[in-house]
Amino acid sequence: MARNSTARRLDETAPAAPGKRLEFGGGEPPAPPVRPNRPIGSNAWLATLMFLGAEAMFFAGLIGAFIVFRVGSAIWPPPFQPRLPVGITGVNTVILVFSAVTMHAALRSVRAGATARVSRMLAVTAVLGGVFLLIQGYEWAQLIHFGLTVSSSVYGGLFYTLIGFHALHVAGALIWLALVFIQAKSGRFSKQQHTGLRICVMYWTFVVALWPILYGLVYLY
Amino acid sequence: MVLCGALMAPATAHACAVCLTGAGNDSVADAFNLSVLFLMATPYTVVGAIVGWLVYANRRSAAKAKSEDGGEPLASLASLQKENGR
Repeated sequence: MARNSTARRLDETAPAAPGKRLEFGGGEPPAPPVRPNRPIGSNAWLATLMFLGAEAMFFAGLIGAFIVFRVGSAIWPPPFQPRLPVGITGVNTVILVFSAVTMHAALRSVRAGATARVSRMLAVTAVLGGVFLLIQGYEWAQLIHFGLTVSSSVYGGLFYTLIGFHALHVAGALIWLALVFIQAKSGRFSKQQHTGLRICVMYWTFVVALWPILYGLVYLY
Repeated sequence: MVLCGALMAPATAHACAVCLTGAGNDSVADAFNLSVLFLMATPYTVVGAIVGWLVYANRRSAAKAKSEDGGEPLASLASLQKENGR
């Protein structure tokens, strides 16, 4: 044992062969440096992700109910019921989709450090969302005037439930957006710290992405 | 066991209204079936999307960390001749 240890020491003092890696004290080379763990997102981000999953399930339930009545009916829309305004709602869809573009522009701006542009983009998004809700409200007023109410038929009930819950979500997102806008104006967000804006963008994206599905199902199918 | 029970006592299985109507060529039954399939697929889609996003965010975060560190891991001092004194 002692002989082996001496032999190892002698071997260590010998000049190293070209290309051979030298180490302290012989044995295995030290482990490569380990990078510290880096969180992929904040707790708020993860919670929003879970919340959006629950929201998706909620709307899936409503869509499931719509499928039962829509596929089960031979004639749709039922006779003597007003037709839904496809054209104006199509324009409204474009407006809402464009609001997601401006919302993501706000997120890109804060990531690039252009904090002044963030509040501008948020304001544009809020205006587009408001226009969407106004057009929806006008459309509803027209439909009620023509006799389509929640209790008039299954058709009316499904329409107001599905589209109404979506409009409620847009209104909620708009209130959230207003709060985020105030925070952005007061310089709360920076390139490094903008979780509040990020989760608001997530929610807005969900609300916008849901709308073309509902539009296709309720208005076009 | 449930399947065996259903095969041995089909009349009992008909106690489920949806199963009974699903046997015919009724449009309402088709609508129920489609809705059930949709609702069955939704949780997998939602959970899959969340997991997919987490994986994507993890990879993006790792790539960002690597680029901020300069791409190469730090050399250990023992591997440098100047530092190890030999």
